[in-house]
Amino acid sequence: MRKKNLLIILFLILILLGVAALFLGSVWVPPQEFLSSPIITQIRLPRIFGAVLVGTLLATAGVILQGVLRNPLADPYILGVSSGAGVGAALALGLKITPSIFGISAIPLSAFVFALVAVFTVYNLARVGGRTSPETLILAGVAVSAFAAAILSLIIILTGQLQSIYFWLLGGLSSITWLEVFNLVPYTVIGLLIAYFYSKELNALLFGEEMAMSMGVEVERVRQVLILAAALMTAAAVSVSGLIGFVGLIIPHFVRLILGSNHRLLVPFSALGGALLVLGADIISRTALSPQEIPIGIVMSLLGAPFFLYLLRRRRSGEK
Amino acid sequence: MTALLVKELECGYGSHIVIKGLNFEVNLGEVVGVVGPNGSGKTTLLRAISGLLPIKHGEVKILSHEISKLTRRELAQKVAFVPQLMEPVAGFTVFEMVLLGRTPHLTRFEFASEEDFQVTNWAIEELKVEDIRDQQVAELSGGEFQRVAIARALAQDPKLLLLDEPISHLDIRYQIKIMKLITKLKKQRTIIATFHDLNIASRFCHRLMLLKKGEIIAFGRPDEVLTPGNIWKAYNIKAQVRENPRSRHARVVWLP
Repeated sequence: MRKKNLLIILFLILILLGVAALFLGSVWVPPQEFLSSPIITQIRLPRIFGAVLVGTLLATAGVILQGVLRNPLADPYILGVSSGAGVGAALALGLKITPSIFGISAIPLSAFVFALVAVFTVYNLARVGGRTSPETLILAGVAVSAFAAAILSLIIILTGQLQSIYFWLLGGLSSITWLEVFNLVPYTVIGLLIAYFYSKELNALLFGEEMAMSMGVEVERVRQVLILAAALMTAAAVSVSGLIGFVGLIIPHFVRLILGSNHRLLVPFSALGGALLVLGADIISRTALSPQEIPIGIVMSLLGAPFFLYLLRRRRSGEK
Repeated sequence: MTALLVKELECGYGSHIVIKGLNFEVNLGEVVGVVGPNGSGKTTLLRAISGLLPIKHGEVKILSHEISKLTRRELAQKVAFVPQLMEPVAGFTVFEMVLLGRTPHLTRFEFASEEDFQVTNWAIEELKVEDIRDQQVAELSGGEFQRVAIARALAQDPKLLLLDEPISHLDIRYQIKIMKLITKLKKQRTIIATFHDLNIASRFCHRLMLLKKGEIIAFGRPDEVLTPGNIWKAYNIKAQVRENPRSRHARVVWLP
């Protein structure tokens, strides 16, 4: 199968990009010193793995939510994860809570917990009589996000920690630790497996709730599993990297434009695409204006948005 | 052999009861047309039988299985439903969409096997859409897409195929083409379809069910059901019924 080969090629490109990233940075480290240099082992290497995992998590969560909600504007943050995480991080940063639990510092922990609280609030608000509809989910997400945004602003004003909170919100991988990287692994592996093995259901759901039901899909339960998976994946990513936008929204669309909407392909290709994009953007973000770092979200949107628009236009004109 | 048994069926939306105590049986291999004015409960009946609408009262048995006792997956292996207005989804080829019909036959960790591809190809051939199997469904004409939608349902390999107004929005050439294709599949398969065109229904169905306000006015051979009296009762329209001189089927002619 040609598409399987394409997946392998992309994977090899990812490995090459990862190796290249070891060499790139504001300080030149010769390869023979790689194992002994803390710049490599404690900074660049965890950052490379972190970028790959965060990209995979966000892009996969984006695929899941765009499918479950049948909405092309859905991204990993649509159900309130981002605003919840924002409040959590702002609380920890603003109140200068520093103690860590099992070596995980308070900021990612608080962001993770509040992200999940936000999603569960959204899900339960949207649940009427044991059923949820995509429209109510999205509207509940908007409402909870607005509420959380207000609290976030309040925290910023009351604590006066505008700068640190704003930089956290912009997102980035500069401070990621090995422990945080390891913590992402189970979310990535389990989340990817769930997305892949639910690709049949995701496909059926694209044709509408009733069609999916008539094809034997237990819509409500499947939706629950998939939303939970996407929420955990996003919360895990956000807790260590802040709010990295763009990748979870655009990568699924990008893959769809090229390979179509079949989730059997969409899930693995988006996961890999997300990893490639975040890794690539992170390399640019720490090398382009070195030693100054450009926040990764800015890099991705600045370079990715025009490229995506170009692709969209070309596709659309090709259809006519 | 009885494929479908409906007993004292009552269902509707919220407190609004649409279907009021229906009783009927359909045999294996039969093609039954459900006719009646808008709002008579045709679609509601199909949705209840396919398990999309909860049953308030009574029972529906498919091949002697009570449908409320089946899981959704088990039900989908026996019944397939083609809704009235199905929207094509961008980014799916005809083959991929028909293959979706195999979903109820796959377990959680299974993906389509060689056998599923064979069934899919068979369904594609039955509906004569081989020529367009690699085209995007979003680019098809209405008549082509409707055949693909039916092929998808057929790929479920159901004993009971439910079609909600399968030809209403198609031109006469496609209406006849689709009716010929689906009535040819009837072997060991039961088809229940709703229609607005009484003459097409009369021409292609073994039996017709005439509904009004959720109740059966008549159920039987087309020439038994399509009488001026029944048509007046259901539609408040004066009509004459003649025999088509060539096909010998009952033909309804509206009177001014």
